[in-house]
Amino acid sequence: MKESTIMKIHYGTALASVGLVAVHILMRLTTGFADSLTYENVLANYRSVPYVIMLELILILLAVHGFNGLRVILLELKQGRVYEKAVSYGCVVAMIVLIGYGSRTIIMTNVGMV
Amino acid sequence: MTKDEHREGIKGMANPGRYGIERIAYLLMRLSGLGLLGYFIAHIYETSNILRGRMGWDDFLAMTQTTEGHIFLALVIGMCVFHTGNGIRIMLGHGGVGVGKPTRPDYPYDPASQNYRHKIGIYSSIVLAAVAMMYGMAVMFGE
Repeated sequence: MKESTIMKIHYGTALASVGLVAVHILMRLTTGFADSLTYENVLANYRSVPYVIMLELILILLAVHGFNGLRVILLELKQGRVYEKAVSYGCVVAMIVLIGYGSRTIIMTNVGMV
Repeated sequence: MTKDEHREGIKGMANPGRYGIERIAYLLMRLSGLGLLGYFIAHIYETSNILRGRMGWDDFLAMTQTTEGHIFLALVIGMCVFHTGNGIRIMLGHGGVGVGKPTRPDYPYDPASQNYRHKIGIYSSIVLAAVAMMYGMAVMFGE
């Protein structure tokens, strides 16, 4: 993929994340910070389908943005054909693993496997 | 960059006092990005504790609901706000907003893009981050 396309994805995921993370944080302030983190409240959040869709979107957007950011930092430090390929593929694999692990929590809690 | 500066390696490159507020913003952007990625991974692991049931969730939550945990979270808030504010400034700069008109390069070759608009953007991001950290601490310690 062209670097210019990757940077557009980087900026797009950043802007989308800002809006969604703001909603995610505001949800913690609706019932008081400590109360919103009680087991019942968090479970109720995970059982709400619109909220779960938002969590999944945040997970994907931030994972893409975060690991692409890490890739950019690592490529700034050192260059080379093998190194650049290793960093790029490593970041993609780490991103997929993190999305998979986070999705597992979201799906299992949403369908009542807790 | 002179030959002597090259000899300093990463230490020389990372010296925030040598190249003005733009270099400090560059470093803070990368440090806050790495910090936020680390927090994001930890947060995904932390929230997965809900799968361990009420006991697992309450045990893990007790670890984070401490003075140290709140200070750490305040730092995360600061990193998040600075990264967002400075990120928007960078995006606008890449889009050609606030970088000035192209002109003939004349001595002393001041870069047109490093102007007062972008400096205000950087300082504003730092101030906003500090305010958000104070608000976050007021919410967390106020309960």
